[in-house]
Amino acid sequence: MTSAAGVPQEISRLSADAGIRAWVHAKRLGPAPASVDHHGSRSVPMASLYKLPLAACWSDLVAAGVLDPLARTRLDTDGRAPGPTGTSTLSDAVEVSQRDAVRLMLALSDNGAAEHLLGLVGLGRLEQWLADHGLRDTAARRGSLASWRAVAAETGGGDPALAPLRLADTDTDVRTSEYDAALSSATTAVDLVAVLALLWDHARHEHVRSSMRLQAWRHRVGSGFPHDDVAVHGKTGTLGRLRHEAAVVEFPGEHPVAVAVLTKSARPEIHQPRVDATIGEIARVAVTALRRSRD
Amino acid sequence: MIANGYHPSMDLVRHLRFFTTVAEHRHFGHAAVALGMTQPPVSQGVQRLERHLGQRLFHRDARGVRLTEVGNALLPAAQQLLQDSERLVGSARRWQAVHQVRLGLPTDLEHAVPRLLAALADEGWSMAPSVGGSTGLLERVRSGELDVAMARHPAVVDGLDAGTVVNLPTYLALPPNDHADGDTFELLGHPLPVIVPPRRHAPAAHDQLVDALRRAGHSGTVLEVETHLERQAWHAAGHGLLPVLDPRLGRTVRGLPPLRVRVVAPVPSDRRPEIDHAALTGRLERALR
Repeated sequence: MTSAAGVPQEISRLSADAGIRAWVHAKRLGPAPASVDHHGSRSVPMASLYKLPLAACWSDLVAAGVLDPLARTRLDTDGRAPGPTGTSTLSDAVEVSQRDAVRLMLALSDNGAAEHLLGLVGLGRLEQWLADHGLRDTAARRGSLASWRAVAAETGGGDPALAPLRLADTDTDVRTSEYDAALSSATTAVDLVAVLALLWDHARHEHVRSSMRLQAWRHRVGSGFPHDDVAVHGKTGTLGRLRHEAAVVEFPGEHPVAVAVLTKSARPEIHQPRVDATIGEIARVAVTALRRSRD
Repeated sequence: MIANGYHPSMDLVRHLRFFTTVAEHRHFGHAAVALGMTQPPVSQGVQRLERHLGQRLFHRDARGVRLTEVGNALLPAAQQLLQDSERLVGSARRWQAVHQVRLGLPTDLEHAVPRLLAALADEGWSMAPSVGGSTGLLERVRSGELDVAMARHPAVVDGLDAGTVVNLPTYLALPPNDHADGDTFELLGHPLPVIVPPRRHAPAAHDQLVDALRRAGHSGTVLEVETHLERQAWHAAGHGLLPVLDPRLGRTVRGLPPLRVRVVAPVPSDRRPEIDHAALTGRLERALR
């Protein structure tokens, strides 16, 4: 086992071997908090991870009686955010409750559902929520649809659905404002872990926690914990060379550990199983150094 | 002044270093270890310095080594002098290197390396070349040891100023005993490995090549061989297929990606002002095309 002091060095080694940059923070939740860090205070574009504070903000609005989790909400095909999963892939309009939209957004990273929830919550209220919780290094500047529209406009125009392929061009170094923390929605690994700690601190966030437990993408943090009795509550974020996940890992009988692994790969390809597996390795190294029995 | 064989200009700085190191460690043996020397020359050096100054710098008694009052008073001036001498030597080195561009080139460029340097020399550029793996070259650009480098793409270039990616067509040299006909040949099912530089030279670019080989139907098996000459040797011995940049030396192969290279320099604030980076980068990019 790598001791907490050796974690940053091991993360550097794993990152260099995978051809990525990594920004990592992990914290043991509960009565005796402890943390490990690797550039965790640096600002990084967050891709789909804005959905995590969005979900937390939504459940606070529900608890305050402002939003109704059972209210039916219609997801139209017009202006639907493109994406590889969930309602983004459907041909027709669908109707779901707000809480099911939250579940699709977290478990599948459903851009269509996320865009709709962002409309219900509002960027203004989300920014206020971030400020109220002291998350000063996190800025939700735009949702998935606006992000992909920006990438499309910066890479030759046209359909936002084509933008992922443009970013994956291996013959050029494709640049976009979505890789710039000053222009895109951005956060830090430390702030993401703080959001996870908030979600784990209050009963009103149970729906968000159980939705993260259903995380369909197991190729990143989940790949570091291939144990059927270990719960990985995760949320991934992916955009071009950015590959992230923020998760809470819970071994039976131990305190849960929150971990955020943000990465930017040198390679631009859409499918990079080595990098996804390295995110699992980094998470395992960081979490292992913080594991402690509840007794 | 040459009193009792003491050459102040030559020995003073050396002996002051002994003095400050012994003062720091309060022990001749430990100071000698820190200086990478044995104890006798350190003791003798300090004694000669004491004679030269006409003052005792240390008390040496049963309790160990302690600075005398004079030693204590002279220590700051000694430390200042050492710092200044280091700065002087550093400045001299930088002046010496002013007219030379410290250029890094990846081993992957093979024969293009001497050709490129000859062309630059012809135009009056003075280059101090380093040839190595891309990862190491990029580290040296970051640390300021190199003024500019060509490096394989993709690589982690955050914090550096990376130019346009140039895609150099790559061909495969068959083993000398393979007399297959035709200009092209298929990677699909080919049994021989591909001879490449070590993966650590450029992990992302290496993995990208392996994935492309598999995409084309090759097993993706590679022989990682350290130097260009050794790669040629393994190829000549019939052990594998060798990627080459010269079309006369190899076959066109469907699915074989180009060698992707770009010019990488420090960000403007970290550059040596003596070097005309715009002209240099432009010239190097032109050389790649």
